[in-house]
Amino acid sequence: MINCVLRALPVAALLVGASICRADDPIPNNTVRIGEYWVFYHVYADNLSGPFVPAGANLNLKNVQTPYFAYLRRLAPHFTAELAFGIPPLTKTYGKGPATLGSVPYNGVEISSARWFAPTAFIEYIFLDESNALRPYLGVGLNYVNFYDRNSTAAGNAAAGGPTSISLPNSIGAAATVGLRYQLPHNWSVIASYSAARVKSQLTAHTGGVSRTSDISFGPQTLVVAAGFSF
Amino acid sequence: MYRYRLLVGTALAAALLAGCGGSDSPTATPAASTAHGTLAISPPLRIASVDAATFQAQLGATASGAQLLQVAGAPACGVDFYYIRFWTVGAVGETTESSGALMVPTGAAPACSGPRPIVLYGHGTQFERSFNIADPTAFTTTNAEGAVVAATFAAQGYIVVAPNYAGYDISTLGYHPFLNAAQQSGEMIDALAAARAALPTTFAASTSDNGKLFVTGYSAGGHVAMATQRALEAAGTPATAAAPMSGPYALEALFDAVVTGHVDLGSTLFAPLVTTSYQRAYANVYTTPSDFYSATYVTGIDTLMPTTVMPYTALYTQGKLPELALFDSTTPVVPGSTPLTDLLAVPTVNPADPITALFAQGFGNPYLINNSVRVDYTVDAAGDPDGTAIGSAALAAAAPTYGLRLDLYKNDMRYGDWAPNSPTLLCGGENDPTIFFSVDTLTMAAFWSALPPNTVTVLDVDPAGGPSGPFALIQAGFQQSQVQLLAYLQTPAGGGLSLAEAEQALVQQYHGTSVPPFCELAARTFFSQF
Repeated sequence: MINCVLRALPVAALLVGASICRADDPIPNNTVRIGEYWVFYHVYADNLSGPFVPAGANLNLKNVQTPYFAYLRRLAPHFTAELAFGIPPLTKTYGKGPATLGSVPYNGVEISSARWFAPTAFIEYIFLDESNALRPYLGVGLNYVNFYDRNSTAAGNAAAGGPTSISLPNSIGAAATVGLRYQLPHNWSVIASYSAARVKSQLTAHTGGVSRTSDISFGPQTLVVAAGFSF
Repeated sequence: MYRYRLLVGTALAAALLAGCGGSDSPTATPAASTAHGTLAISPPLRIASVDAATFQAQLGATASGAQLLQVAGAPACGVDFYYIRFWTVGAVGETTESSGALMVPTGAAPACSGPRPIVLYGHGTQFERSFNIADPTAFTTTNAEGAVVAATFAAQGYIVVAPNYAGYDISTLGYHPFLNAAQQSGEMIDALAAARAALPTTFAASTSDNGKLFVTGYSAGGHVAMATQRALEAAGTPATAAAPMSGPYALEALFDAVVTGHVDLGSTLFAPLVTTSYQRAYANVYTTPSDFYSATYVTGIDTLMPTTVMPYTALYTQGKLPELALFDSTTPVVPGSTPLTDLLAVPTVNPADPITALFAQGFGNPYLINNSVRVDYTVDAAGDPDGTAIGSAALAAAAPTYGLRLDLYKNDMRYGDWAPNSPTLLCGGENDPTIFFSVDTLTMAAFWSALPPNTVTVLDVDPAGGPSGPFALIQAGFQQSQVQLLAYLQTPAGGGLSLAEAEQALVQQYHGTSVPPFCELAARTFFSQF
């Protein structure tokens, strides 16, 4: 007798729901997770360049925290595909370098912000047998970032010399992850993972008819703690 | 048997849609109109903002800046430096974008905010096309004139408007309308209109135009300032007062003197600027450039200046211009006139008169301007002399027939018999080797001698008889600075020059470096009484 159950999940947490019912495989193939991202930026940016830019004007980002969501698809006993994303965090950029530009405060002043829509797809190798509750894993994948809601602050406008619009082209880069998954009863699980992604873009600030640019490597590294349900 | 049921999560859809759009901060927008006098970009870019203490510290960090502070005084105000881009027209009506400076005083002191007077400033001849008077980051390199203007006026509570002129910086006009009174005064007025429109959009929106307008400028900018003063009066919007400084006002008289051997310092750089400007405006200077310029230098001469070569002095080493030899050391023969031929001979050096040595340096081989030009020009001048050659201050009695001389006649500030209605200070140094004080400033003063008292005031910052009168302190300061500079140049720190070399260096710096801060201080002093 085929026992096939399609588990209904809250719509807000459902990414793609599908079930494959196989008469001889009781292991669920789909997992959804909810948790928290802690994002740590390791920024390397070129000094801003362009007309009338004082020497040494650079940029930095403040770390952020945002809810984590993921959908995983079991491909084989040791392989899983994961699509992870967070609620797009508001990432704030700060001046780094001279304390003032002329007499305008710069270092440590919030000059702009942007939201990151940053899904990442992984192929993961899960170690140990599926009967083990605790299974480490590692994965490689691809990260995509779309920067939107880009805004210059009043302090940023003052430093730039006028109302300023920000351009940041999308980023596509490699990503890697390593983690621990602990299986709980009734198809629940918890995970903790560390990930890193290559996220690079060129920031362009447009002010009063001139453009200033900086090539930025954001170097995000994330810690995730999440709970998952398999079905 | 497999069954699939696919559901699309609203969360994913919402996230994807959010990633595709989003708002951005507004920025300056290019203007749709290209009407002259309107801003091309609004609001304008603020290049820098310095408070009074920071500006003082920045100036004081260099020797030249420290000297400037001694003359201009410690900044009473901070300064915001804006880069305005506006529309104007060229010499034959070409629509062109130009640029310039809007310097706005800042600070809490009453003299630094609220309604403030405007100084409309015409800068002196610049040889490099990239010149930008709005750029304070270049105060110690290519924009020393901007530093003088900022320290003298903006840091003392004046709003400063100073165009870069068409043909410079971002202007796409392929030439500069040098000493073209109509075009340059029109551009000054366009810059003023654009700056007035920009003022309410700046970070110092509470600073406004109090209605007082002072027009000034140095060297070629002195000619521009005087032409602008005339144009403003003609438009029914006269300036409150004006202070043209060391300018080539009496152009016909000046060039008559140069062509007959009184070769001024810098003439090899001025010549292509003048001929290109007037050829573009009037098409009567030459049929082909080789009519005017020697074969050695004719290639590309009509597009050479202002130059993209940095520094401009590399033009000499590249063989594109002679440094000194304006004319051929072989004297041309004026057919049928021995006196005119003698007039064109290389000047005799008189050791008692150092400027004669300067004149003689203007002759050599290779040389810039053909002898035929000197002959044709001199014949025209002899038959229709400038008043200064025959004991008056007037222009030639009739319009000249030689093309270049006719153009100079039309742009001479005596043309049309205009005289200023608003108080005017004419400042300069009597030993100026570039713009001869007697030929220009004193000629204009004589030309306007019948005006009511106090309409025109003449200030020689370097009087042979020593300081006197209301500007005595400024005169004393200038002459003392010359003594100090002469001594300094002979010290190891100053280059260890011999006395003769130091005197020559003083001559080289007189017009472009030594006189300007003192004349600008005199202008500010003059303006302060209105």
